[in-house]
Amino acid sequence: MSYHYNEAFENPDYHFSETLEIDRRRSSQKNLFPHQSPYDSSLHVSSGEHSGRGQNYPLAVRMASMRHGSEYSRDLPRVNVLSRSPYGKSTDNLSFEPEPELALSLPSTSHLLDRPDTRGISAVSEEEKLVGDLASMSTSERIKAIQKMPENMKKKREIRNKVLKEITEKSRRGRAQLSCCTQWLQGPALSFRRFGNSLAEYFHLLRLWHGTLKIIGAEFGTSVLSYFIFLKWLLTFNLFSFLINFGFITIPQFFAAEPNNVSFTGLELFTGAGYFQQTVLYYGFYTNATISKIKNGPSYNMQLAYIFTVGIYFAICFLILLLSMAKSFCRNFINPQTYSGNAIRLLCTWDFNITNEKAVKLKQKNLSTQIKEDLMEVNREVLNLSVRERLVRIVIHLVSWAASLGTAVAACAGVYFLSINNAKLFVNWHKNDLESQAATLLLPIVTSLLNTFIPLFYSWLGHLERFQTPGYQIYVTITRIIGTAVCASWGPPEFDIGRNVLELIYVQTLTWIGILFSPLLPGIQMISFSIVFYVKKVSLMMNCQPPRKAWRTAQMMTSFMFLLFFPSFVGVLSVIGVTVWRLKPSEECGPFRGLSSMYAAVSNWIKILEGYTASKWVVWIYSNLITSALFFFILSVLVLIITYLYWQIIEGRKTMAKLLRKQIINEGKDKIFLLEKLRVLQRVKQTPPVLREQGRQSPYSAGGSRGTGFPQAWSSGTGPGSSTSAAEALALALRAREAAQWEDEDYD
Amino acid sequence: MKGPICKVYLSQDCTFFTRKEILRLFDRYRDLAPQLVPLDYTGKPAVTLPYELIGSMPELKDNPFRQRIAEVFSENGDGNMTLDDFLDMFSVLSEMAPRDLKAYYAFKIYDFNNDDYICKSDLEKTVNKLTRNELTPEEVNLVCDKVIYEADVDNDGKLSLEDFQHMIIRAPDFLSTFHIRI
Repeated sequence: MSYHYNEAFENPDYHFSETLEIDRRRSSQKNLFPHQSPYDSSLHVSSGEHSGRGQNYPLAVRMASMRHGSEYSRDLPRVNVLSRSPYGKSTDNLSFEPEPELALSLPSTSHLLDRPDTRGISAVSEEEKLVGDLASMSTSERIKAIQKMPENMKKKREIRNKVLKEITEKSRRGRAQLSCCTQWLQGPALSFRRFGNSLAEYFHLLRLWHGTLKIIGAEFGTSVLSYFIFLKWLLTFNLFSFLINFGFITIPQFFAAEPNNVSFTGLELFTGAGYFQQTVLYYGFYTNATISKIKNGPSYNMQLAYIFTVGIYFAICFLILLLSMAKSFCRNFINPQTYSGNAIRLLCTWDFNITNEKAVKLKQKNLSTQIKEDLMEVNREVLNLSVRERLVRIVIHLVSWAASLGTAVAACAGVYFLSINNAKLFVNWHKNDLESQAATLLLPIVTSLLNTFIPLFYSWLGHLERFQTPGYQIYVTITRIIGTAVCASWGPPEFDIGRNVLELIYVQTLTWIGILFSPLLPGIQMISFSIVFYVKKVSLMMNCQPPRKAWRTAQMMTSFMFLLFFPSFVGVLSVIGVTVWRLKPSEECGPFRGLSSMYAAVSNWIKILEGYTASKWVVWIYSNLITSALFFFILSVLVLIITYLYWQIIEGRKTMAKLLRKQIINEGKDKIFLLEKLRVLQRVKQTPPVLREQGRQSPYSAGGSRGTGFPQAWSSGTGPGSSTSAAEALALALRAREAAQWEDEDYD
Repeated sequence: MKGPICKVYLSQDCTFFTRKEILRLFDRYRDLAPQLVPLDYTGKPAVTLPYELIGSMPELKDNPFRQRIAEVFSENGDGNMTLDDFLDMFSVLSEMAPRDLKAYYAFKIYDFNNDDYICKSDLEKTVNKLTRNELTPEEVNLVCDKVIYEADVDNDGKLSLEDFQHMIIRAPDFLSTFHIRI
């Protein structure tokens, strides 16, 4: 039997490795393929892949195995709680994963113990090891591992071909027959992965606003771009909400719709009342009946559908938000105690997205200005503010706080009283005419005006406070400061990312609150977000200039996600919870008319189910899990225990990171010390023998401070200078380390 | 994809792009020099585009580091790129690439003399490129000293890959700034 895969293999570039597998499987009669055992991504592979491009990553692998026997290991507490693959889900979580860091740090220490002659041999064997490791992984793991290798494409393709060859070799030898279970799973897993791939490709086709985002990023940089990406994310989120509600609630409602008798006047677009009240836009329109088109056919209970759809929607929202927040936190968390200085600004934050010439020049100018300012601040001494100046600062801070809090309280009180009295003063509910409808607009208008002007007032206060810092010492007098803050800022304004993102979060909160009573609100929100996108984009292009200071985008976006989740979403959940459990639904309209609370629909349903023996398990789950406090108590205790465990793990790893950092510093000191010693030896070698006798004493005194045993070893070890072999260097390093540790212990 | 005869050898498993994106990138590559780049890559032609064409792409032409980027990703280190190098470059600079990979290549980009360390001369060149030579030599010197003082953990006077990666951990913005959208 000839394997077709041979000729397919000759041009592997025409296939994915997956199609090769399909070909292989089809052409074989017996399933003798080993396929991939449950993946086994070892540390060796990870350390191998972090190596230099074109260099020998093998050395890093060798050092990894040496690590276990190295002298340094006894200093480090081994925190082996979760041995996660470095290429698992926490790829970017470098701050909490010591293993990849260790593997990464090893190539540098290997310089000390390098032997040039063994490099060539070890490279080949280590490459074989890498190929072997890759061959034993599952397909998706292998693809990920190859993608992440820091090699050029040719090398990666070579390695991939070798791996595929290895796999086919293995299968030909008929080794390692897996259980039929795993083989049986391979087929569906493969097709699932291909389906996922094609789905991802179609999603990429969507690429909403890709061109616009590219232009915005090119001119204004990543920080402003992050606002628009957040907006796009919220839009897709609302699309998902809309589809769920539309599918499960609105479409069935169309089958039981009542005719709309109200005439359409233009005012509905502003008030939302009138004609729209009798459409699917509002809760009141939905029927409370059980819809069934066909007599005795499948029926659709509207009450249950409504409450379950809204409930499950919020549960899914919760999970999505939790996962995004966790992912964002993972990627962007930095220890707030670490100092971020010039180095990071220089090397890590140049924005490669900016491709507009003017923007690049501007950014370069800003960077040079910032650097100059920093250098000036370093040269200047720390200013001691006089008591009077400090007092003035405190007073200004207090006044700003009082003003902002007072305004907020006043605005809230005003809105509250207006909403209560609005009904009494202006609206006559029985006359459903134009005037009374227009009067209902008063409250929204007032609220919008407050929302527009109060933030402006707050940013003015912020300007006022900012000019008090010593960094702006050119503004000496207070009057000059106030004047500068009051006048319009010179030149075009910058795009205020913080304020805009908070507005988005506010709008999304409103949508969530309203979803219970207006299921299609996400649809309206989508339209509004699209309009906002274009308006903001146009105003950005025409009015704004790129931001001056590098804005810590990643951390701010994390905190915005956090804001979206905690105050916003959790608040909404509480409001909805109270509404569903406690409030009596309207008697005249809506799917819950006549019930004592919305939740009563579910309890009634459960009572009905108790009558049927087939659904006893549903009743059991309901009474013992959902309505029982004990279950939730146990769940909470479990979550708390797991949280505590993870917290302890984090603490342990922080300690380990500190120790490792100390170790690196020590190794650096060792290196410098040894190099110095080697230089001295070289000098000794070059001086004539007579002088050497006399000079013998001086080099050793330099090493005297490093511990008592050292100079003797040195003097005994040196002959006519030929003994500076690497083995001696290793011995010297170990003794130096010992001596340094005695020193540390003395100081502790 | 231009016509049914176009057959690009798909390196899907080796980059972070999907098949359609690879084809789109091939079109971009071909647009740089349609007479040099054949439509049919079946025979794996050894076509290299000179650096001047690569550096004239709108995504790269204003980037102060475009020459270093091309040199790092090209096979011979001279800035002339084959299709493989081209795909590799945009794959690493895409948003799907993990942080380690990006840090590795960023380090190579800033390492002007290719000695696997960012020494003071490399830093000086970087500063000058970032500020368009607006700082005086004394200021540049001061800045470089500060950077080495802050970032050099093992105290050898230059930044190794590990020092650089240690710094990257403290700059979560790196993932989004070291990114070119194509």
